This record gives sequence, structure tokens and C-alpha cells, in this order.
Amino acid sequence: MLLKLSFSSMRKSFKDYLVLLFGLTISIAIFYMFQTLAQNKAFIESNAMISQIVFIFHVGSFILGAITVFYIFYATSFMLTLRQKEMGMYMTLGAKKGKITQLMFFETFFIGIISLVIGIVIGIGLAMGVAELFMWQLNFSGEGFEAFYISSLTTTVIFYIALFVLTSIVNAWQIGRKSVLNLLRADQKQDQIKTNGLKTFFGVFFALILIGVGYYAMMNMAEFKQFGVILATVTIIPGTYLIFISLLPYFIKKLKQNRSLNEKGINSFTLGQLRFRMLNLTKVLGTVAMLIALGLGAMTAGISFYHNIEIQSSMFHANDVVVHQPDNEDKEILEAIDFTEENVYHYKADGKSVYFLKEDLLNNPPGIKKFTDQFELPKTVRVDKALPDEKYSLYESENASGLPEDWQQALSTELNASYQMFGDKDIFIYSTTAYDKIPTDELQVTLGKVDDFTNYLPHLEKLNEGQLQLAESYRGENVEVVGGKYSNYIAFQAIASGTIFMGLFLGIAFLMMMASVLMFKLLSSAGSDVSRYNMLRKIGVRKGLLVKSIYRELFLLFLFPALVGLVHVLVGMQMFSFIIIEPYAKIWIPISIFLLIYGIYYWITVQMYKRIVLPKEI
Amino acid sequence: MNQHVLHVKNLNKVYGKKSENQYHALNNVSFDMARGEFVGIMGSSGAGKTTLLNVISTLDSATSGTIEIAGTNITAMKQGQLADFRSEQLGFIFQDFNLLENLTVYENIALPLSLQGVSSKKIKPSVHKVAGKLGIEAILEKYPVTISGGQKQRAAAARALVHEPAMILADEPTGALDSKNAKSLMETLVHLNENLDTSIMLVTHDPLSASYCQRILFIQDGKLFKEIHRKNSRTAFHQEILDVLAEFAE
Repeated sequence: MLLKLSFSSMRKSFKDYLVLLFGLTISIAIFYMFQTLAQNKAFIESNAMISQIVFIFHVGSFILGAITVFYIFYATSFMLTLRQKEMGMYMTLGAKKGKITQLMFFETFFIGIISLVIGIVIGIGLAMGVAELFMWQLNFSGEGFEAFYISSLTTTVIFYIALFVLTSIVNAWQIGRKSVLNLLRADQKQDQIKTNGLKTFFGVFFALILIGVGYYAMMNMAEFKQFGVILATVTIIPGTYLIFISLLPYFIKKLKQNRSLNEKGINSFTLGQLRFRMLNLTKVLGTVAMLIALGLGAMTAGISFYHNIEIQSSMFHANDVVVHQPDNEDKEILEAIDFTEENVYHYKADGKSVYFLKEDLLNNPPGIKKFTDQFELPKTVRVDKALPDEKYSLYESENASGLPEDWQQALSTELNASYQMFGDKDIFIYSTTAYDKIPTDELQVTLGKVDDFTNYLPHLEKLNEGQLQLAESYRGENVEVVGGKYSNYIAFQAIASGTIFMGLFLGIAFLMMMASVLMFKLLSSAGSDVSRYNMLRKIGVRKGLLVKSIYRELFLLFLFPALVGLVHVLVGMQMFSFIIIEPYAKIWIPISIFLLIYGIYYWITVQMYKRIVLPKEI
Repeated sequence: MNQHVLHVKNLNKVYGKKSENQYHALNNVSFDMARGEFVGIMGSSGAGKTTLLNVISTLDSATSGTIEIAGTNITAMKQGQLADFRSEQLGFIFQDFNLLENLTVYENIALPLSLQGVSSKKIKPSVHKVAGKLGIEAILEKYPVTISGGQKQRAAAARALVHEPAMILADEPTGALDSKNAKSLMETLVHLNENLDTSIMLVTHDPLSASYCQRILFIQDGKLFKEIHRKNSRTAFHQEILDVLAEFAE
């Protein structure tokens, strides 16, 4: 009988349960999604640039697990608040405590299992969708990644069932512990506000010091190494929480003390709500800020790595395109490329050697990348060394002079007169007189520079194919890499794309998780606001004004952790400055993705919150 | 100008659709209330008191009939207009105080003025004036959770009065108060009524509270049943109310 009653009442408050289901489902889906990567050890190890990647994933799993535990406790305690009044009523009508405890256990567990099933299905879909999107974008085959991964599935199911059993027991125990009167009057309890000036001052003071130390550690990561990571972790995390515990309530209090602002329209109510919220939400807001920092950080790092590929591949080559002996098809492609500089050099080749024409090289000296001792990007310079002798050789040779270093680099790197192209042939530079005596046909190589290398990747890919065939014909064997900037680019990409993929994948997962933590916590406390909004309606506040107040209040609650998280990321990217050349390049991409996800959550939260708190109009 | 602050004519409120069992919560109710009058509405539970109050306070809509408050026909108004009307013309005092616990007493009282766009410079003297009348100046900066029930109800009364509404609607204002605080609140209401000429409509089932009114309308089964006027002392009026209630019981 009680079971039937409890089902019918669950049906009635369907929209509240919908919030609960949604929250649990998201958490399960994200957890599963994370596990598909974290447990696929073979995939991680073969695709990561960072050697401790497996360790990083272990840390990630731990953080996510810890957050999930809190999250599930929020969620199920929300359920307790939904049900306790009714449970109290059953008890006044004579239901035994044991029965009520049993009922609460069953209900919590039931909701948990439903969300587990839906969550895993969504998780598989999400993992598949996100993975495919990024693989396609990154041109990354991602072999070995499986959206449906049995071991992750098992972990997720076991982890959540254990959690649900635990929370069901806690819920049952909570309800068993309370007296009937406590249950019946549960919704009449009021919040207390307590602030202490001195405590606030010290809180703010320590928060700033801790975060300052953490930021310093991150900015000087190259010196501190592992110690820096640990130092940043143990300072920034408590610092962030302290900011939310002391600084923000203080800030809102100051805002409220501005009378002309506070007493304008519904502001006093909005700010009053905010102030109360802040005090209840400090821990959640701190957690959200940290999650934003982690998620956005992972994504930004991923995208910086991606951008880094181009910079790295530009480090060694001054010229973007090098094409030996272009055939008709190659010539058409070269026509289509908008060169900022294009030079043709002639050479001859016989069975043993390759001879470049000295006058060609001196007339249009090619650019090379010159490294300095400082840690900075090499600059493009033109080779300006004179070549007074008749014959020069790239390698040691008895009957030719040694080639100056710059020219060596120009020949082997820029003109691609390398082993990859010519095999073990000797490379010479001959003046016209000597050159003319060589009886073979004249050949040529085109060097070119473009404005944006990545714009021409499809062209370059086709040219590369032609060059591979040419090299095979020169060398008489199978050739896989032919040299030049494009080859470099492809090689770097192959190394980095796995890391980038993981960064983006995890970034998205964390961002989805964090926003739902905030949404859930806000919605779960919305029940106590119903009477406030109802009262405001009674004293004649227009619905539009109430809606505006909700939008503003929630906006500020979403804004603060976003700001803190964003600052963490901006400073935190300094950590990568020793492996990424321009850590802030294209940072607008991850920030836009973040804002989009966050914005959607904000909007959904407002809509659901409105449904819960706004009085029904007659 | 209309002498009546409230004019109710042929008011009906029916719950339920035509095809179903209909319930007449209000059945052809008509009455007037003069400017500055203190009127009580009495009746047993389910008699229609609360429905009448909700309809008059524009929180609920009437099925048919007209209600004019301060010369304005509220039955023809839209939601937004009704909200504005409530915020300008009506003041509410409820049994459970309905103070916003996340605002100080000062902010609670100031809210109706803030909503009407009054500048904070002008709000301050108004709040202090009304708080002075109700004797709650000392607790203005406190939060509702830290003050007593009687103080809460005074704060609520101050909020109802601060924007000088055409009429105050009080729904069982003494319901949650002990007899001493209840007496003190009723005396305050009488004081406001007599000295400031505030029109007050009081809904109650407590004969003692009702005895502070000048006139009482008894309602039963959605109809106006009887009307009595106070002629002499309050104690005599109290007795008279008890007699009418006894009449009901028979």
C-alpha cells in the first residue's frame, strides 16, 4: 500500500524528479565518458606525448570520483527534501518507522538505477559523438578508441551502484533519525546569516596569498618541475575555496550597503537572495571554479598543442614548399598556390652524384632558419656567404672545397637535397663551367613561401605524393618520408594529435560536469524559494520583474566561478610555456566552447528554476 | 468622487467545469465598504472568507460580478495591470507574516516603495515614519528570523502601510500570535484606522479580534448571511458577535 502511495506521489512531483534524473544522468554519462579514455591504457600510452599520462588519468579519475560522490549526495539529499514532508505524514497516520526507512531506501535506489541505465546509454552516445567530431577535426585516426568499452562500463556500474546503495542507506537513516514533527516542519526552517568582519579579512588575505603563491609556481613551472605542480595544487585549491567563502559574500554585502542600488526596484530582493545563496553555495561555487579551470585548461592546452604543430614545423624550414622536378599535375597545383616568394634552382644528377648550379643559388640565395643561443624562435635569414671556388661538396670530398655551414643547411633543409630525396648520392655545387660539362639532362627544384601554410595543406599533400614517387625513382627503393616542411608538419601532428584529442575530450567532459553540478545545486535549493516568490507576487510584483530577478541572480552565481576559473586558466597556461611555444594562441576557441556550454546550462537552469519557483498565474 | 473604497456587486466564484460537479464558493455577494471603514469578515471554515479575500485582493479571478477598488474596476484588468494595482493600491497582512527572511526588516518595509521606483532618498523617511508608528524602529536592521512573532507582524503591517495604499487586507493577522501580541496588534490597527483614516478589511474567525471592527459581515456557504454594526463598547460588540456565531451553530 505504501509502495503504491509512494509511486503515485513520485508521479505527481514529476518535474522535481525530472531535475533529479537529469542531474544523475549527466553525472553518470560524464563519468562513463571519462572512463572510456582513462581505462583504455593501450590507447593513452600509444597516443600521448607526456610520459606520465597514465598517472595524470589516475589523478583525473580520483578528482572526478570525489566530485561525483559529493554530487550524488547533493542529488539524493534533494530527494530527501522532496519526500520528507510526505513521509512525516505517513508516520502521523501510523506508518512504522521501519517501513518508512525501507521506503526511502527503495525510492532512492530506484531513481538511481533508472538514471544509471539512461546515463550509460547517453554516455556511450556522447563518447562516440565527441570522439568522432574531434577525430574528424584533428585528422586523427584514433585507432584503439572505443566508445563502448566493457571495462569502463563495468566500473561505472559498480561505482554508481555502490554509491547509490550508500546514499540510499544515508537517506533512509536520515529519515529514520528525524522525529515526525521535524519531518512535517522541514520546510519551515529558515536560513541564518552570520558574518564576522575579522574572519572575512583574514579569509581574503589568506586567499590572495595562497593564490599568489600558486600562480607564481605555475608561471615558473620550468624551474620548479614536479614540486611546482604539487605546490600549485595545494595552494590554488584552498585559495579558491577561501575566495568563495570570504571574498564574495563580503562583495555582495558591500553591494547591498549601497542604498541607492539596493533600494532600486527588486534589487534588494535579488541581492538578498544572492547573499543567502553565496553562503550556502561557497563550496559548490569553489568546486565549479576548479572544474572550469581543469576543463577549460585541458581544452586550451589541447588547442595550443594543435597550434604548436605549425609553429614547430616552421622552426626548421624557411620555405613552405619544395618541389623537385614538378610534372604537369604539380605545375597546376603550384599555379594555384599564392606564393609570396618563389624561386627555381637547376641541377643535374648522374648515378653517383647531384650537381647544383652555383650561379642559380647565388642569384637568388634561399632563406634559412637561423637558431640563436637564446630560447626563442629561429629567424629567417638569407644565406650571404660567398662561394668563390669552382666546386663545393656537401659532404667531405677530395676534389671539392667544403661548403660553408649556412649553405649546407640551405641545400639539405631548404632545397631538400637530402638522403630522403637522393639516397646516398653525393651533393655538389658546381660553377657554370664545371656544371656544363656534366652530360645528363638538366633538372630543377622550386622553392616557395606562402602566407598561411595551413591553408594549403590539401595542395601540399598532393605535391608530397608526387615527391615520394620521385624520390622512389631516384633511390630505387620504397620511400615513406621525403622531407620538407610538410613532412615535418605531418610528423609533429602524428605525435601531438593523440594528446590534443585527450585534452579536448576531457575538457568537454569536465565542462559538462561542472555546469551540471552548479545547476543541480541551484535547483535542489529552489524549493525553499517558492514561498518567497509567491509572497512577492502577492504584494504586486509583476511576473516580468520576477523573471528578470531570477535571470540576474542566477547570472551572477554562474558568473563568479566562471571568472575565477578563467583567470586560473589564463595564468595556468604559463605552465606549458616550456613545451608550447605560444600557449595563448587561438585561446578564443576553447573559451568560446566553454561559454557556449556554460551559457546553455545557465539558460536551462533559469528555465527549470522558473518552473519551480514562479507562482502559477490564474 | 466615489465615497466607497470598495464596491462589490453580484460576485460569483465557481470552481469546477460546467460538465462536472460545480462548487459555488461565492454566491451573488454584494456589499460596499466606505473610505476609512474597518470591516471584518467572519465565517466558519469553508464558508468562503478566503475566496472572497483572494478575489478582492486580485490574487484570484471572479467567475462573474464586479469589484471596484478606489473607483477602479479590477475584474477587467490583465495580469500585469493587476500586479501594479496590488503594489500601488493594496497592503497585505498575512497570518504567517510573509516577510522575506533574506531581507532585513528595513528592506522588507522598503520593498513596496522600491518596486514603485521611489528613490532611496525618499524611501528612508517613509520607512522610519511608518516604523515609528508601529514601534519597531529599533529592529529595522535585523533579519526576520531574529525577531519575535509580534514584531514580525508589526513589520508586516509596516510593509502593508508604507506606500499608503487605498485599502489594507488582513488575513487572520492574529492567527499566529499569543493573546497579548494579538491585542496589541489589533489596537495598532484601530489606531491606524482612526488616526490615518486607513481602510481595513479584516478576515478572521476570532471573535475577539473581530470585536475591534466597526462592522462585521458574516458569510456562510458563499453567501452574505448577516451584518452587524458596532454601536457601543467593544465588550458589548464582542458579546454580540458571540451571539451571532451561536446562531450559526444552531
